[in-house]
This record gives sequence, C-alpha cells and structure tokens, in this order.
Amino acid sequence: MNPEMQMESYLTTLRSHLGLLTLAEREEIVREIEAHVRDSAEEPGATVETILARLGPAQELAAQYRDGLLIRKASRSFSPLVLLRASLRLATKGVSGVFVFFCSVFGYSIGAGLIFVALAKSIAPAHTGLWVEDGQMAALGAFEYDLPPHAHEVLGMWIILKTAVG
Amino acid sequence: MAKLRALPAADDQPDRWEAQLRKGALEMAALASLWQGRLYGLEIIRFLENHSRLVLAEGTIYPILNRLKAEGLLTSEWVEAEAGHPRKYYSLTEAGRVRLRLMAAAWTNFSDGLSRLLDPVLERQEKLQ
Repeated sequence: MNPEMQMESYLTTLRSHLGLLTLAEREEIVREIEAHVRDSAEEPGATVETILARLGPAQELAAQYRDGLLIRKASRSFSPLVLLRASLRLATKGVSGVFVFFCSVFGYSIGAGLIFVALAKSIAPAHTGLWVEDGQMAALGAFEYDLPPHAHEVLGMWIILKTAVG
Repeated sequence: MAKLRALPAADDQPDRWEAQLRKGALEMAALASLWQGRLYGLEIIRFLENHSRLVLAEGTIYPILNRLKAEGLLTSEWVEAEAGHPRKYYSLTEAGRVRLRLMAAAWTNFSDGLSRLLDPVLERQEKLQ
C-alpha cells in the first residue's frame, strides 16, 4: 500500500466510526486529521506509517470523539437514558467510572422508588407512608401486610410532596 | 502517549496513574498553548512537546480541541496555507481565557498543597539514595 492509500484507508475507517456525529462534523474531523497527516509528513524523517501509528488506531480516535459528544450531551440532558449511557461508557474506563455508574444506578433506583411510593399513596393511602415507632423510623414505603401495631404514620399526604421534592 | 502505550500499563499501577494524570492535565495544557495566539493542531502538539514534559499521543489532542470548541472555550477557522491544504486554527474565546485563568489558579493552589504534603516523602527518598 502506498502512503496515500494508507492515509485514505485510515481516514475511511475514522469516518465510518464517527457514526453519532453530524455529517458536517464528521467531514470537518476527517479534514483536520488529513491536514495533520500531510503537515506531519513534511517533517524530516516522518513516514505516513509512523504518523498514523502516533495518532493511534482510527477506531480509538473515533471513540474519543464520540465520548466527547456523549459527555456534552449528558451534561446538557436530564434524560436518564443518556446519563446512564454516558456513565456506562465511563464505567468501561476504569474503577472510578464503575463507581460513577453504580452511583447513578443507585440514585435513579431511589428516585424511581420514591415516585412509586407517591403513586401508591394516592391509590392506597392507608398502606403507604412513613411509620414511626418509639421515636424511630419503622417503615417507609407501600405495604400489603399489616403494619406494626404501635407505630403511627407521620407524613400523611405530605409524603407525595416529599417524594416529589426528594 | 505512543510511548506510554508501549509500557505494561494495565499491570503497572503507577504508570497507569501517571498516564491518567497527564491526560487530566491535557485539557488545561491545550488551552494554555493558545494563550499567546492562534495555532493549528500540529503546532499545539509541538508546542506542548517543547514547553512541557507531557508525552502526548498525537491523536488525543484533536478530540479534546473538538470538545473545548463545543464548550465555547475555543473558536476555530480554516486558513489556506502554502502547504496546499487549509489548516484549522484554534484561538481562545473570552470564556476560554476566563476558564484558563481559573484553572491556572486552581492548579497552582492544588500543586502547592500537594508539594507541601510530599516534601517529607521526597526528603526521605533523598536520604535513602
């Protein structure tokens, strides 16, 4: 393969792995990397092969661009799916990423649980709430079975507001 | 980073840690390279090589520039060159300058604190040597 073909093949792989970005963004990235290769080739002793090796595999370079986009989207988005996808992607990057991922799963689970409690209160008010027994929290949530006899429910309908705020 | 990749990074925790540290600093370094004026990608890479000991995987800088631009800290323009192809020049925006000043202050603060913490460790090492 001659140097020009090596570069073209690298750029083709790069372009095909930039899937999520817009066409204009993709073309601009490819154009910039092409300029990098051409400029680097002017330096003494440089070959297209070493230049491409120093850029790293095209798939990996594309993945870094996609990560940047995902982080950008996640920082502007309230969609749990986008945030979970971003934190899952971080989780593949190391221990701290895994920690972030589990925190977000944990956070969303609590959120979903509280929303469930709020809905349950409006459907089955007698079986949903925060019960206190001898000054200590005995139960929080929605229950099918009978509650501890000495415990009393403290929040009443406030629980809907609390869970909405929480 | 091409050099770093050659190291047994996965097994060798200190090397991996150092690679992460360099990567973390790269965003600030890229902004700092543009403090004096506009540069294109390869110039930024060479600037960082000459002015800091950041070993750089050349590919890494481009996605970072792309992200900094999307965040509004950089602008870019294509400029025709004698080389026969246009080059994409980056410059700091006002927001980029503000952010870089804050980053520089936070960094100095951080590294001063750590240096004080690490002084005894390094002294001990000198005695051992």
